Amino acid sequence: MKKIAKSQLSKMLSMLSAEAKLYVPVASDGVVNFAPWQEDVEVDLTTINVFVPPKKFFFPQTEAVLRYDISDELEIEDFACKAGDKTILFGVRPCDVSSFAMMDKVYLGDPVDIAYRQRRENTTVIAMGCKSPDETCFCTSFDLEPGKAPGADVLATDTGEEIVLSAQTTKGEELLTQLNGLIQEATSGDENKVKDAQEQAKEGYTTSVNVQGVMEKLDGMFEDFYWDRLHKRCIACGTCTFVCPTCHCFDMQEYSTGSRGERIRCWDSCMYSDFTLMGHGHNPRPTQKERVRQRFMHKLNYFPHQHGDYACVGCGRCVRKCPVNLDILEVIQEIGGAAGGM
Amino acid sequence: MKECSEKMRKVASDALQKQEVTAVLGWRKKDFWWQSPVAFIESVDDVDQLVWDPFTVFNPVKYLLEDYDCHDKVGIFVKGCDSRGINRLIQDKRLDRDRVVVYGVPCEGKADADKIRASFASKKIKKVTIDGDSLIIDVDGKEERVAAEEYLLDKCLTCRYPNPVVSDKLIWEEVPVRKGVNEARFARIDNMEKKELEERFSYWSRQMDRCIRCFACRNTCPACNCRVCIFDQAEPRWLGKANDMGDTLNYHIIRAFHVAGRCFECGECERICPAGIPLQELNRKLIKDLDEFFGEYEAGLDPEDNPPLGTYRGEDPAGFDES
Repeated sequence: MKKIAKSQLSKMLSMLSAEAKLYVPVASDGVVNFAPWQEDVEVDLTTINVFVPPKKFFFPQTEAVLRYDISDELEIEDFACKAGDKTILFGVRPCDVSSFAMMDKVYLGDPVDIAYRQRRENTTVIAMGCKSPDETCFCTSFDLEPGKAPGADVLATDTGEEIVLSAQTTKGEELLTQLNGLIQEATSGDENKVKDAQEQAKEGYTTSVNVQGVMEKLDGMFEDFYWDRLHKRCIACGTCTFVCPTCHCFDMQEYSTGSRGERIRCWDSCMYSDFTLMGHGHNPRPTQKERVRQRFMHKLNYFPHQHGDYACVGCGRCVRKCPVNLDILEVIQEIGGAAGGM
Repeated sequence: MKECSEKMRKVASDALQKQEVTAVLGWRKKDFWWQSPVAFIESVDDVDQLVWDPFTVFNPVKYLLEDYDCHDKVGIFVKGCDSRGINRLIQDKRLDRDRVVVYGVPCEGKADADKIRASFASKKIKKVTIDGDSLIIDVDGKEERVAAEEYLLDKCLTCRYPNPVVSDKLIWEEVPVRKGVNEARFARIDNMEKKELEERFSYWSRQMDRCIRCFACRNTCPACNCRVCIFDQAEPRWLGKANDMGDTLNYHIIRAFHVAGRCFECGECERICPAGIPLQELNRKLIKDLDEFFGEYEAGLDPEDNPPLGTYRGEDPAGFDES
């Protein structure tokens, strides 16, 4: 276990940025997002939820997968093997770290998404343990510990004047070795401070939800009237899906200028009317009812059936951002509390 | 405030009981102190859900479009800003006036949860109520009384139509219009116009760079009421799905121009934008320009007239090119 004084943080980040592309949470115009680290940026160490979740580093909102040119001879440039410059993410919150494991189940499953894997392999994740949850945080409902981030390469814990760094993977150890000379050995006192911070982080949750049995209950609710009532409020924007750290649906788009073009993979949202719209014009999800149902069934039924976990980490972004206050917290509460159909 | 909620419940209950309407749109309370989503009341048993509180801000007018086609007659509570949306839909021939009963609820402004969070620990807030010029914030059982003015939404502080411009029944007395709102209307635009082109471009590039293309601005807007939006068309696809600056600007410029002369300044696009993009500046810039080119015009006041870009007059500055 190592540590660094907060006053030295900028030096540490400067060293890291020499080795890789380094991204940190930064506030700009009042909105916090991961942004490239620069000497003069102020790293935001307090905001819990950055606006766009860090899944974008492995699964970008927009990426060219191939480029072609047939003006002369057919030339195809395949981007899949080129993805992934060496990257370091600093300050990823534990809920978002655990979302990476969920994305892995999809993109590192069969078949493996090569570009995704390269980005994952080339990226070192430094998590920042949470100190105090927001009112909309409910990660503990999914058995996550806000002070711990088992999937991260390095766990950083804010202990007041200092940040304690503990490597959790070989990649993490290598990263800390690089910083030798700048970071110090942590003492047993520091270790205790970390433990205290982790314990303290578990307190102060004002929001929780019982997810027990929700998947099973949903098994029999595909045709339930519940969805008829629920979807009415939805205005079909894509906010919930794009701020969600576990939403992972994409669409393939062709950008062509005659002889040249690109094939682009981009985030798609099940809230949109052209989601699963087939080439011949049929859409198996013709109205917002089916789309809203899809979103919650995917997260709370299909995904756990297939992969064992609910596709939600309780970050609370959809709770905060949904313009009509229709969110997963409400659905879990209502499904969990509902005795069968409503 | 409590009396207001009571009055709304009474009105809704009477209307449903007498079968004047088969559904009522209003607002209700949800889990958090800052959540007052739209309520769809279809039964007298549910009217007690209706509330009037500092967060009943979401404009319910757009819900009159599709979902409620199954209802013969819908009652709807509208604030001043919302009410202009009713005229918007009628003028655009998207709403049959006879199908709605409009209950006007004059409004002194709604609270900005972010402003409250900046001063009080959100987790400890139990309830926020309004009492005249004061906001009463219940922080862990202790009541803090603060000046409402400091915590209202910016759009409410510059609201020129706090009283419904259309209603079948006014539920309580009209409220006075705030001082200085006419001067404040174009303040941000005047500032922006003074800036150099490069500065304006870098400002907008930075704002638009945050856009995630969720289309919340479009979807909440009563002026965006096309049956199929051009941006949703898959074949041909007018707007690329790739989130690049070209297409993002394409979207935002076309959206702003399509509502030009029809935007009635409810400000919901800007308020609900999850990325905090100041969309109202675009809308107001176009309103200001239209006023200069074609004479002053207020959208959403008269359902019978034609918006400036939906009509042609001989004296229009740009001639009518028939070539």
